[in-house]
Amino acid sequence: MTTWKDWESKASSETKKRTLSSLSKVSLEGIEVKPLYTEKDLQKYSGQLLQLPGFYPFVRGPRATMYANRPWTIRQYAGFGSAKASNHFYHECLKAGQHGLSVAFDLPTHRGYDSDNPRVTGDVGKAGVAIDSVLDMKVLFEQIPLDKVSVSMTMNGAVLPILASFIVAAEESGVTQGQLSGTIQNDILKEFMVRNTYIYPPLASMRIVADIIEYIAKEMPKFNSISISGYHIHEAGADLALELGLTLADGLEYVRTALKRNLKIDDFAPNLSFFFATGMNFYMEIAKLRAARLLWAQLMQSFSPKNEQSLMLRTHCQTSGWSLTAQDPHNNIIRTTIEAMASVFGGTQSLHTNSFDEALALPTPFSAKIARNTQLILQHETGIPNVIDPWAGSYFMENLTYQLAEKAQVILDRVEELGGMTKAIMQGIPKLWIEESAARRQAMIDGGEEVIVGVNIYISKEQAHVDVLDIDNEQVCREQIARLKELRATRDEEKTQKTLADLLQGATSGGNLLSLSIAAMRARASLGEVSAVLEKVFGRYQAEVSTVSGIYRSAYSNDAELDDFSREVDRFAEKAGRRPRIMIVKLGQDGHDRGAKVVATAFADLGFDVDVAPLFLTPAEAARQAIENDVHAIGVSTLAAGHKTLVPELMKNLKELGGEDIVVIVGGVIPIKDYEFLTAHGVAEIFGPGTRIIESAKKVLAAILKKL
Amino acid sequence: MNVEKILKQDRRALARAITLVESQNPEHYPQAFALLDALLPHAKRAVRIGISGAPGVGKSTFIEVFGLWLIAQNKSLAVLTVDPSSTQSQGSVLGDKTRMQNLSADKRAFIRPSPSSGKLGGVTFATREALLVCEAAGFDVVIIETVGVGQSEITVASMVDTFVLLVQPGGGDELQGAKKGILELVDIIVVNKADGDLKKLANQSASQYLRSVKVPILKASALHNQGIQEVWQAIEKHRDNLKQTGAFPEKIKQQNKQWFLEALTENFLKKLKADLKNNAEVDNYLSAIDSCEISVAHAAFLACNRLGKIFLSRGRERLN
Repeated sequence: MTTWKDWESKASSETKKRTLSSLSKVSLEGIEVKPLYTEKDLQKYSGQLLQLPGFYPFVRGPRATMYANRPWTIRQYAGFGSAKASNHFYHECLKAGQHGLSVAFDLPTHRGYDSDNPRVTGDVGKAGVAIDSVLDMKVLFEQIPLDKVSVSMTMNGAVLPILASFIVAAEESGVTQGQLSGTIQNDILKEFMVRNTYIYPPLASMRIVADIIEYIAKEMPKFNSISISGYHIHEAGADLALELGLTLADGLEYVRTALKRNLKIDDFAPNLSFFFATGMNFYMEIAKLRAARLLWAQLMQSFSPKNEQSLMLRTHCQTSGWSLTAQDPHNNIIRTTIEAMASVFGGTQSLHTNSFDEALALPTPFSAKIARNTQLILQHETGIPNVIDPWAGSYFMENLTYQLAEKAQVILDRVEELGGMTKAIMQGIPKLWIEESAARRQAMIDGGEEVIVGVNIYISKEQAHVDVLDIDNEQVCREQIARLKELRATRDEEKTQKTLADLLQGATSGGNLLSLSIAAMRARASLGEVSAVLEKVFGRYQAEVSTVSGIYRSAYSNDAELDDFSREVDRFAEKAGRRPRIMIVKLGQDGHDRGAKVVATAFADLGFDVDVAPLFLTPAEAARQAIENDVHAIGVSTLAAGHKTLVPELMKNLKELGGEDIVVIVGGVIPIKDYEFLTAHGVAEIFGPGTRIIESAKKVLAAILKKL
Repeated sequence: MNVEKILKQDRRALARAITLVESQNPEHYPQAFALLDALLPHAKRAVRIGISGAPGVGKSTFIEVFGLWLIAQNKSLAVLTVDPSSTQSQGSVLGDKTRMQNLSADKRAFIRPSPSSGKLGGVTFATREALLVCEAAGFDVVIIETVGVGQSEITVASMVDTFVLLVQPGGGDELQGAKKGILELVDIIVVNKADGDLKKLANQSASQYLRSVKVPILKASALHNQGIQEVWQAIEKHRDNLKQTGAFPEKIKQQNKQWFLEALTENFLKKLKADLKNNAEVDNYLSAIDSCEISVAHAAFLACNRLGKIFLSRGRERLN
């Protein structure tokens, strides 16, 4: 029999000069991943390994038969432009083999604004479908049997009017609320951490969440009242232990909130679902889903449920949008396939696969088809679904599962020490953990330690031609405004106002806000009106923006390049009498600020003075702040397709205020074909996803120098 | 620089002027001094308020609510804030406007964040000059915000009329921990966050502080917009007192003196640093230190005497 020693000597002869230990890699999570695992790596966990799927603690899957009996649900997230266009697209998808729907709303809807609100002009219909009332909702689901097709809705901020109008639209098509199946995301905690599409302050928001959990527990047995989402935490740059720990901590907070309503654990826990991102770290992603089920089952056990369903973590997964690159976009098809496999090996209940062009724009019908087919091929051609949890028993996978669970437990404990997630968030602490992780990772990519093909190695010279989808925002606006007019003209105004007054009363004194919102939406109130009533009582939340510092600099490995550039910045400072000053701004209702934050902290680490502008500014407000702070440059971060209206508007306002000499650069998801448009409007530089930050800083400095 | 535009509070001109007076490039100095001299006759003393407090005490929220209240009383307002520059990269993150979103969105308020750029003490090298620009522009009230870290209170107190310290309910330790000298600079203490669960604690804190300090102690809740007017009244009363007792002109005189002496020292230091760069004498001392011929303290003392004489005589030559 061969021994470990035998292997070591043979392996050493193969590695020659490299030591064997150099083959081990420490992951972002701080887990040492070795080149070889043996039985010894399982000793510590030996008591926990004899498990079966469908049984506590569900490491091997929530169901006993998993995909061997029924494959995962193919659920593609989509929605754009008008309700009519989205409805048409949903019908196409269902015909082509998709099982369930998942609705993407536009940003004004998320933030509780009607489409005719002057603050939101550039964002209507852009990154999702615009919904202002029951009338829109009815168009969105026209001819779709809501008693059969499950519908997932990504909505957190304006969750009350959206869920209410969905219920009313179904009711008016003859489907009762009890028959509805699907999920409402309703995960407000992570909005405060990463995605920023909240409306009200944390405590008021948690009341809304509790009202919804309570209502669904009583009235809608087939509907998931919440989708506790790690996805956005992952996408904001958290490592997998952090994603897992924070997500479960969110879940725990929701459970406690619901229990405080005197609900019994079994009344609502079976209706809690999860949502994780799957990135390129293949093994770790599989381990993440296994560890998630383990930890959740353990956490929930402490509430002594009687129904086994209360212990099970059921999840939706989506491949990582962040892992997609604008360079060589066809590579993204391969990335998505690998991520989809990891989700499936991990045992997800439903899956969204991204389209390869999403680092450039919204998907086209063509790219959406490839994404959907990726899953159909996995289900029908590979044999992968035939075996339940095939990685079980692997020395490596089992070891990794438990190690990752331990790391996530540390995060959970830290959140508990802060008094639970609501309190931790109000102190802004988890946000900083995520930003630290994101800045570190960016530095590793910029320094070439983490490799992305086509981005920092094997960079191809020619630009692939990709057709992208463009939304005619003005057309959508016209349609929406017309329907809002129709709504207001045809409704019984007195009745509408009465329901809104009831809602106001309920918000002040108690009463289930979902139930009151349903009455208001049924009486043809608009989403903006319902949100405004609640805002009167709760206020509109403004996040305090804080940023980490020093992380990018210390994690960046190419010292010579850094020093060279620092000297260049110093020379600039001597000449200008101050550091180069740039304002980083997100315009409109887009709250995805990972990119902006990473750029801000990295630029400061590179010696710039960086103004971080508040979120949700209009172009006019942004221009004024840039003028007042007298910045050399403005960096606009855009991910939600609003750049074609918002950027020219910014330029116009700058000019009016005498700031035409301020350099404007744009970064984010921008289709190549829009580059010319932006340049023609005076934009100095455009940076797509995957740009090395130090590279962009060099170009910004050069552009500033040109105008100085 | 367009003085007329600054006097009319043109935002572009105002912002540019502050950049100019903050510039650390000596080539800009003549222009900056000419501007300051031109603005001086127009600079009517504004109500200058220094606001300090430990991180997390709610300074920005307080200034936002306080500022919006002032604007509602038809007072024009400028706010100067300072963010620390990194000692490593020299860069900075300036996020004050995100913490005062409503105030910064209001066209009647002018908020200017500046990086500390190597200056210690919670201000920049040119906070006083920026103040002067704002006063020439005719702002009724100018607020200087600073993080309370001991030294900064002293510096800020030396340039404002009224110095307000924000504390948290139950923050008795803060006060006791604060050095006696700093408490003497404080004109008004505001116990912020006197709301919700903390209301009772705030009351306790306030009465506890009353025993240990002689200045007015107020309770406020920036979050719920409570006690704001009272803070303004206390500030006005403090100024009235200064004026009635005749202490105000003396205070301004003292502040000018300190301003001048600080600026003078600053000028000396800058020149000195430039002279010491690539200086052969300095290198001689350094090599003596490296070879352990002389202690650092001794070398510095000798070098100071020797170089001082050389620089002075050189200066005299230049003057002649």
